[in-house]
Amino acid sequence: HSCPMVLRIAELTSFGAGASASTHQPNSKFTQQELPACKPILTPKWVISVFLLVGVIFVPIGVASLLASNKVVEIVDRYDDACVPSNVTNKLAYIQNSTISKTCRRTLKVPKDMKQPIFVYYQLNNFYQNHRRYVKSRNDQQLRDASKANETTLCDPEKTRDGMAIVPCGLIAWSTFNDTYTFQHNTNNLSIDKTDISWKSDRDHKFGSDVFPKNFQKGPLIGGKTLNESIPLSEQEDLIVWMRTAALPTFRKLYGRIYVDLKENDTITVTLDNNYNTYSFDGKKSLVLSTSTWLGGKNDFLGLAYLTVGGLCFFLAFAFTLLYLIKPRKLGDNNYLSWNRNSAGH
Amino acid sequence: PGPFRPSRRDQPDPSASERELHEGGEYRAVAVGEPSPEFAGNAVRTAKYSALTFLPRNLFEQFRRLSYVYFLAITVLNQLPQVAVFGRGASVLPLAFVLFVTAVKDAYEDIRRHRSDRRENNRLAAVLAPQTAGEYLPKKWKHIRVGDVVRVASNETLPADMVLLATSDPTGLAHVQTVNLDGETNLKTRYAKQETQLSFSHDGHVAGMLHCERPNRNIYGFQANLEIDGKRVSLGPSNIVLRGCELKNTTWAIGVVVYAGKETKVMLNNSGPPSKRSRLETQLNRETVILSIMLIGMCITASVLAGIWLLNHQRELEFTQFFREKDYTTGKNYNYYGIGMQIFVTFLMAVIVYQVIIPISLYISMELVRLGQAYFMGADNDLYDESSRSRFQCRALNINEDLGQIKYVFSDKTGTLTENKMEFMCASIHGVDYSSGKPACGSSVVVDDLLWTPKMAVRTDPQLLKLLNNDSSNEEAKLVLEFFLALAACNTIVPLVLDTRDPKQKLIDYQGESPDEQALAYAAASYGIVLVERTSGYVVIDVLGDRQRFDILGLHEFDSDRKRMSVIVGCPDKTVKLYVKGADSSMFGIINKSLELDNVRATEAHLHKYSSLGLRTLVVGMRELSQPEFEEWQLAYEKASTAVLGRGNLLRSIAANVECNIHILGASGIEDKLQDGVPEAIESLRQAGMKVWILTGDKQETAISIGYSCKLLTNDMTQIVINNNSKESCKRSLEEALARTKEHRVASSIGSPYPVLASESSGTVLALIVDGNSLVYILETELQEELFKVATECSVVLCCRVAPLQKAGIVALIKNRTDDMTLAIGDGANDVSMIQMADVGVGINGQEGGQAVMASDFSMGQFRFLVPLLLVHGHWNYQRMGYMILYNFYKNATFVLVLFWYVLYTSFTLTTAITEWSSLLYTVLYTSLPTIVVGILDKDLSKSTLLAYPKLYGSGQRNEKYNLNLFVLNMLEALWQSLVVFYIPYFAYRQSTIGMSSLGDLWALASVIVVNMQLAMDIIRWNWIIHVFVWGTIAATVICLFVIDSIWVLPGYGAIYHIMGQGLFWLLLLIIVVTAMVPHFAIKAFSEHFVPSDIQIGREIEKFEALNQVLSVDSYYQ
Repeated sequence: HSCPMVLRIAELTSFGAGASASTHQPNSKFTQQELPACKPILTPKWVISVFLLVGVIFVPIGVASLLASNKVVEIVDRYDDACVPSNVTNKLAYIQNSTISKTCRRTLKVPKDMKQPIFVYYQLNNFYQNHRRYVKSRNDQQLRDASKANETTLCDPEKTRDGMAIVPCGLIAWSTFNDTYTFQHNTNNLSIDKTDISWKSDRDHKFGSDVFPKNFQKGPLIGGKTLNESIPLSEQEDLIVWMRTAALPTFRKLYGRIYVDLKENDTITVTLDNNYNTYSFDGKKSLVLSTSTWLGGKNDFLGLAYLTVGGLCFFLAFAFTLLYLIKPRKLGDNNYLSWNRNSAGH
Repeated sequence: PGPFRPSRRDQPDPSASERELHEGGEYRAVAVGEPSPEFAGNAVRTAKYSALTFLPRNLFEQFRRLSYVYFLAITVLNQLPQVAVFGRGASVLPLAFVLFVTAVKDAYEDIRRHRSDRRENNRLAAVLAPQTAGEYLPKKWKHIRVGDVVRVASNETLPADMVLLATSDPTGLAHVQTVNLDGETNLKTRYAKQETQLSFSHDGHVAGMLHCERPNRNIYGFQANLEIDGKRVSLGPSNIVLRGCELKNTTWAIGVVVYAGKETKVMLNNSGPPSKRSRLETQLNRETVILSIMLIGMCITASVLAGIWLLNHQRELEFTQFFREKDYTTGKNYNYYGIGMQIFVTFLMAVIVYQVIIPISLYISMELVRLGQAYFMGADNDLYDESSRSRFQCRALNINEDLGQIKYVFSDKTGTLTENKMEFMCASIHGVDYSSGKPACGSSVVVDDLLWTPKMAVRTDPQLLKLLNNDSSNEEAKLVLEFFLALAACNTIVPLVLDTRDPKQKLIDYQGESPDEQALAYAAASYGIVLVERTSGYVVIDVLGDRQRFDILGLHEFDSDRKRMSVIVGCPDKTVKLYVKGADSSMFGIINKSLELDNVRATEAHLHKYSSLGLRTLVVGMRELSQPEFEEWQLAYEKASTAVLGRGNLLRSIAANVECNIHILGASGIEDKLQDGVPEAIESLRQAGMKVWILTGDKQETAISIGYSCKLLTNDMTQIVINNNSKESCKRSLEEALARTKEHRVASSIGSPYPVLASESSGTVLALIVDGNSLVYILETELQEELFKVATECSVVLCCRVAPLQKAGIVALIKNRTDDMTLAIGDGANDVSMIQMADVGVGINGQEGGQAVMASDFSMGQFRFLVPLLLVHGHWNYQRMGYMILYNFYKNATFVLVLFWYVLYTSFTLTTAITEWSSLLYTVLYTSLPTIVVGILDKDLSKSTLLAYPKLYGSGQRNEKYNLNLFVLNMLEALWQSLVVFYIPYFAYRQSTIGMSSLGDLWALASVIVVNMQLAMDIIRWNWIIHVFVWGTIAATVICLFVIDSIWVLPGYGAIYHIMGQGLFWLLLLIIVVTAMVPHFAIKAFSEHFVPSDIQIGREIEKFEALNQVLSVDSYYQ
């Protein structure tokens, strides 16, 4: 087996055979590795300018982000505990008992003026939508294509019901969030717009307009929302929102929008059906009303991070300048070569 | 098999195969003219695969590599449904990619081999048709069989190994060029035996039975005999012509095929190149082990945490929506087997997810980088030898970077430091020194009204010329004549007569394998004793205008034991004379000392004088054989030379018997010129912190004088000479030497706080000179240790009169006791063992043939190329490769850590937010190409700077570009950057509606940009190619992310479009990249400025000196 090896190496390395054949030696800037090149060197001027530049850019961005975040008004109301009657000891049994009415009333106070649109989210804590078992348990072909209704691979353990394929199959669809909210604003009904809460691309391409739910939520264990079998999946926006699985175990999902401006100290009464079971795993449920800015929702982190990094860069620029003034060094000075330094030492 | 035996390689060893023949005792019989099917046919096959076998065999070949098996194991593991992390399609991708690339490469090479095989096999040769009287019909090479008689015309290539039967030359002479075989371009002469030549010229064909040794790899040896007309004729290496050679200057030649196809010597020698592992690659294993431990640690962490989570939530699993233990259609648990099993499965999955931390693709990148580096080394004009038109060649492809870490250079002298173009300078004849050479016009001979002139004229001594021409009756003149006759006859030179432009003039070109002999033959010619013709049976010498024929009755070839050669000549006056020439040590042992003491003494004195001038000396002697003596010798000689087995030994003992009582004629001094630039090159190498040792077979005086002329030795050095004949005296001198080095050390350590080499810090420098005799007692004994201590204290070491194996022994002495890298450079067969022993072996394409080159890792044309090779390319290769390895570790670690942090937020279930396609493409596409291109093209310093400051080479010797500290630093950077890449988006998107795919895209893009920015920050020279690859890769990543998110069947459909539409995404990307890079930038800025490395200073000098020059030129013109 070793025979051809030498041929190969020779072919690869000599690029045109041995001594006799190589009458022509390639000679270009490329082969001599002399292509024109830029060779940047971090001179003190550059170092200090870079640090200063980063600082100068970052601090204003940080301030702007913080301002934007402060402008956001956010109402968070955790209701999972409060919506279980205080005399119930076994919350799991309570929530699983479908015969009990679970309507619950919450009153929210508006801390500051809120400009429309006001986004209504539900927030779950400790719910691992990114759990490996869960995240894979779906079949995207089935969701889009009516002819692939029986395609349920990967949907375990929620594939079939009595031998019939479940549409939409899989744990994600099965566990769709099913608490519902209605709002009253100073005794007037506050209409909530539940359209366009999902991505348009999902409605248009990912969920078929001719795919209807079948055999769904018929099992012994109800995971969540029951779907209307006469509405195609592409219009089941709560499902579509739910099926964009959240990245982190604490997440919000859009429930709807309110197109009314709210005033400071207004009260909002929320009537909610507390159906969704988070009691089995210590999950928390909250209702969130929030305005939005160019930066999205309330989040001070980004602004603080920008300020910190910007400040750090100012500090580094200062430190470098100081050190440079204390211990300046001429660039490209022969005397700093190690062998010259050593001989100067003794 | 002692320590001298080159351990790692299976290289053809000529002496080994010779021994084999003596012991093996089997031979093959070939009937001339009768093709015999029992031996291998002449079809050759270098291709590995056929269309059918390609797939299985190529896969088999590929999976013999450990890294591929690792890939395969991971892929197979991923196919288990319980463990499957990636989808089937995605998981096979990296393995398939690597296999595919390699398979395409192999297929391409194999197609080329197929094509060349087909071309070779279908070439035509004229073959004697059986049962016809001398009719030669064209036959394809592949159909030629052993026993066929083949006729080859001038400039044709020989189809198989053949024994010459007859040639167009009436004396049976043929010339071949063996350039394809061993790289030698000079013509070699081969003979057809007189018996076959005569038989052929009489009846047009030859019949007989040929017995030859079995096929072996020894190009330079062949033993056989031929039974013809009831006579046994012996055949040797000069009677065989080998496949691949070309017939030159001979109209035709006829031979019988003895070895065909894969049994030919050229095919048997077509062995793989030496496989060595570079220092970096060995060190890299240490880091791989560390990374494996990290990998296992991460897997254990993930799986234990997963176990704890399950334990805490055990009772909730059934009703927890995101887990739901049970499958209600079956009523059983789905994919859940209890905590213990779950931990195990998680562990396996973790291995699959995190395996990237061990960068298997690194090995492929390294190969590609080395290939690119090899290309640029080969293309470098500074390594191109104009005179021999030979390029630098990388024969071993895996030790490029070792060239940047060499500490010891072991150099052969003849042909390596010197040109090995010999020039006759002076002669001592019968105790008289003739050394006042004057340029002469040379003498010519008249043959058939044509003027034949030797090609080269030698400076001649007028006194000697006068003596020769005027007075031939004088006793002294007779001796002088004998001296030159010996020079002209006692050799293996073949005079070739070449045409010149003037039709009346011809040139005599002496072709031969030994440059010394050529020089001597030209010298004799210049003094009027012109060798005109040589056949296997006689030589024609024009003695001062009188053409005489001398019969060559026998020839004892030169061998390294006897160190001399002799011929037995039948002179025109019917006397039989023995001419001997050889090294002085071997000659003074066989002379008749009692007779002519004065003569011997004077000659010895002259020899000493010549060798101290740096000349190579040979002693020439003769003896007249009496008739009984001659007959006795002839009987033994004929018997020995027809023996098939043990012929070499027999001939040697006959030679030893007859070479005695020699009468000294004189001695010759031949100048061996230094190659261009050798002293400067040695100076540069020493400046660069390398120790240059010269190992030569020459005499001590010659070696020392060469040492002076190449500036290795200087007058202010203290020489320690070890030249002893017994073990005890060796021991004593070593102890003395050790004491002296200690004195030096003490003296020097007073003044200097550094533990500097004794010889360098004090004013005087030590030089050690050892000779081969002493080495016999030192190497492989307990004295080795002492020698090592002494030698490492000396800055110059010269070893003279060393045998080839001793050369290897000296290299081993250093190699086994230190971690320092050794390089051996040589050009001759005697350097092969040393070249193989050293970490890096360099062969010189010289006069002495191709054996050293064939055994070497790198080959080039001149010694001085060592300077650009080591100082420039070696430095670059080392720095590029070191950086590339560290960078690959770093970039994969960064990515794996980003994946790892996410696992902490998925209840430890190894979900990756980054799509599986992106995770797999990360190593294959997103980050691989820039590092390969940078590994090939980036240069930390320019060629001129590196050559101007040889000490910059020290960075490689001190392992500055790849060491554990740098590795740790890189890992810390990876840790920081992964934290930044992961946690900034984490905190920004906590309690938001962010989806997994969107965040995954951000993480993927951020990691790729950060990792490529790190590379960009470390690139030193930005040329357009590097720009294209670095920015192109980032662009390609974005494109890939878009493409992946445009596939509707994947969960991430549309995610990147969505997230890129938000301002937050861009602000996050900006802060991630800046925050991740701040430490690297700060460390770089602060260290480059306040603790600058030599290379940093060099870069500044390069940049600002050029600037200063431009400025000064500008001001000059203004």
